[in-house]
Amino acid sequence: MAPPAGQIRPGRYLAIFTLIVAALYSLVFFTGDGNPYPKLGIDLQGGTRVTLTARTLDGQPPSNEALNQARQIIETRVNGMGVSGSEVTRDGNNLVITVPGEGGEEAKQLGQTAELNFRKVTSALPAQTPPAGTTPQAAHQQQPGDQQREIDEAKRTRQSTDPNVQMQALQALNCAVDDPLRGNDDPKLPLITCDREGEFKYVLEPVFLPGREVATAQAVPPNQQNPGWTVSLDFKSEGAKIWADFTSANVGQQAAFVLDSEVVSAPTIQAALLGGNAQITGQFNQQSATDLADILKYGSLPLAFDQSEAETVSATLGVASLEAGLFAGGIGLLLVAVYCLLYYRLLGILTILSLVLSGGVVYGVLVLLGRWVGFTLDLAGVAGFIIAIGITADSFIVFFERLKDEIREGRTFRSSVPRAWTRARRTILSADAVSFLAAAVLYVLAVGQVKGFAFTLGMSTVLDLVVVFLVTHPLVALASKSKFLSKPSVSGLGAVQRLGNQNRAARKAATTAKEA
Amino acid sequence: MKVTTPGTEGTRRRESVFHRLYVGTGAFDIVGKRARWYVSLGLLVLVCIGSIGFKGFNLGIDFEGGTKLQMPAVGAQGPISDGQVQDAFREAVGRPAETVQIVGTGANQTIQIRTEALDVEEVGAVKQTLFTQLQPLDAQGRPSEQVISDSAVSGTWGGEITQQALIALGVFLVLVTAFLAFYFEKWMAVAALVALLHDVVVTAGVYSLIGFEVTPSTVIGLLTILGFSLYDTVVVFDKVKENTRGLLGLTRRTYPEAANLAVNQTLMRSINTSVIALLPVAGLLVVGAGMLGVGMLRDLALVQLIGMTAGVISSIFLATPLLVDLKMRESKYREHEVKVRQRRERAAAKAAGEDVPEEAPKQAVSAGAGTSRRPSRPAGKSGRPTGKRRR
Repeated sequence: MAPPAGQIRPGRYLAIFTLIVAALYSLVFFTGDGNPYPKLGIDLQGGTRVTLTARTLDGQPPSNEALNQARQIIETRVNGMGVSGSEVTRDGNNLVITVPGEGGEEAKQLGQTAELNFRKVTSALPAQTPPAGTTPQAAHQQQPGDQQREIDEAKRTRQSTDPNVQMQALQALNCAVDDPLRGNDDPKLPLITCDREGEFKYVLEPVFLPGREVATAQAVPPNQQNPGWTVSLDFKSEGAKIWADFTSANVGQQAAFVLDSEVVSAPTIQAALLGGNAQITGQFNQQSATDLADILKYGSLPLAFDQSEAETVSATLGVASLEAGLFAGGIGLLLVAVYCLLYYRLLGILTILSLVLSGGVVYGVLVLLGRWVGFTLDLAGVAGFIIAIGITADSFIVFFERLKDEIREGRTFRSSVPRAWTRARRTILSADAVSFLAAAVLYVLAVGQVKGFAFTLGMSTVLDLVVVFLVTHPLVALASKSKFLSKPSVSGLGAVQRLGNQNRAARKAATTAKEA
Repeated sequence: MKVTTPGTEGTRRRESVFHRLYVGTGAFDIVGKRARWYVSLGLLVLVCIGSIGFKGFNLGIDFEGGTKLQMPAVGAQGPISDGQVQDAFREAVGRPAETVQIVGTGANQTIQIRTEALDVEEVGAVKQTLFTQLQPLDAQGRPSEQVISDSAVSGTWGGEITQQALIALGVFLVLVTAFLAFYFEKWMAVAALVALLHDVVVTAGVYSLIGFEVTPSTVIGLLTILGFSLYDTVVVFDKVKENTRGLLGLTRRTYPEAANLAVNQTLMRSINTSVIALLPVAGLLVVGAGMLGVGMLRDLALVQLIGMTAGVISSIFLATPLLVDLKMRESKYREHEVKVRQRRERAAAKAAGEDVPEEAPKQAVSAGAGTSRRPSRPAGKSGRPTGKRRR
């Protein structure tokens, strides 16, 4: 092996590292708001997080477009709540709503499909009280597969065009249980469904006017015409025309306003309504009328969503988690530091120094990522960092153990460093590559909080390489050139060195014996 | 200086196991006793698979769906008892909560309530009732409804995470196989993958056996074990690769011996790495379980603790021995072993009279030719790896 391999100029590397750190922290302090704190997830600062999983009729993954559109709509709704810092992000087929701080409870309602459609009523029938024994609980405990089957079954019977099947389905329909078809009905087919209060069952014709034709909606307080709260709708031009045509042709008939497969209101058409305007009446109070108007105004979602996870973390718990995470990290670092010192002495100090520097770089990057790409540090991320301490420290250990290998073979500390480095470098690179690969795969493919964990783990792995190459190795190289620092009592390499000397002596003896 | 005469065995005894580990001259015969490891690890794996098959897992709330509420365990009238919480809960929704438990310690002590899925109104009602009856205090010591946290999870969420995790596992295995096949040799890749599977099965098995709750955090943790497990194996194999370079051209030592030497040389590193990786995880576990009681930190730490331990054990006792067995299927390594034996017999015969069994200087690395059958400790008489010395 060529002697200069592994020989470096330590000063140069350390200078590069200093430059990087300086650049990093000037970015932290002098760009953006200059606020040197990473963005914290709601599990660390308190707030509400809701994960919505897109549900499609056929089990196929939802289209990108639909998801993005849904994200925008939900974002509009979130912004309507007026809590600053709220955001909606896409995570695979999920939308994640995060509302920091207090007052995010409403976010749990935002994912409602609220698909509004207008259908003509064929017939209506009062719903009888549900027979005892059918509890609404039953609907909760179903497997996903069952749910899909139920939807199919409901579609087969309740959306049939065959009048006989329709009659049977109408008889069988129980308005007291959760409707599996909810938000999943096919607009091109007739529909048999209940109203919101479960008082009437309806047979409805196919949708003649989709809800996306609604331009705006608002809650109207009780007035002379309507004793209760109502919701007033304005149609877009196309919708207004359809509405006008329909009302002209169907005076005396009932039109149903179907929200998520449920009839909200089924007014009888008194006269042709040509103004592009409609009223939804029902048993509204101010709150429910406003809610409905908001849902309609902000648009119906192109997809149905299930709320997979909804979490409100109190600020107290968030802070406690953050403290616990930092405390755990601190303890972890401390334990590692003590162990390294006991085991490696001087090299242990270098390890600790490298770990601290690594931590500094990681922190800076974290702040910048939070500012630039909205990366939030959550509890899982903190755990990722803590676990990365081990992986980071391991790079040093691989190097130091190689160093010991070399010394054991009779080399001096000084001459061992370049040789040990060239060999350790390979191992460090490949081991880190595996570790990074695991983190990258996790990050790309996994959902939920896994992402934060994988991200911090992967990032630590990369930054670990930076520190090992630019700091640890140069420092060890420097130490090996210093008389004081390479004393066995300081370097902790005494035992190995003695062994190395023995080895050397033994070989010498053997050689002499042979030559003699 | 006489170092390696058989008679000096006694004086060398003063070196403890730890010392031998430290200086890397352990000379533990790990590869030679591989049948023993196979049997014990095989049994362990069988038990694990059996437990997974028959006993299954204790799945957490995220797999069954449900609602969890959490609040500080101190109210305006002093500590809150679980009975009080249960009463308030029943009053709010008319049925009892599944479990109410007090977790954590000191100022972080909290009460956790777990129930079947509640809808938004019910959660609101429960929070309201808990607040009015028990007055939990916030960090400033004021009663506040905001300190009550809640989380609702649908029954499909855990399943979705698991599904994604399985996909990730598949992709990872494919990529890693490609990486290993490229970076190492074929058999090394196979051995590393077997060790990896061992780690996953054992970790999952321990979870099943002990009945630890499986949460999405556990599933995440399981995936990151993969990285660590391979990481550890990569380091050991790197050394094996180095020790066996040019092995066939010499009759110095057999492949199994060279591999055993590599394990010994990396033993301290493996132990150090594990200790250093496990220390923070242990810290995480203590803090996660101690301060917060339950939750993500604890789950992650627990699964990592088990998985990392399995990873270290498998990289030492499974991966390398397996690699040796796989390698020895190739006739060139078997022939080589025979050659080494023959040469040794010759050398032994020659050295029978005199007491210095020094052979021609060695090519491959260093101390402790692990499986050397001579009575003397091999530690002191190894060669240098440089090739500088004449041979």
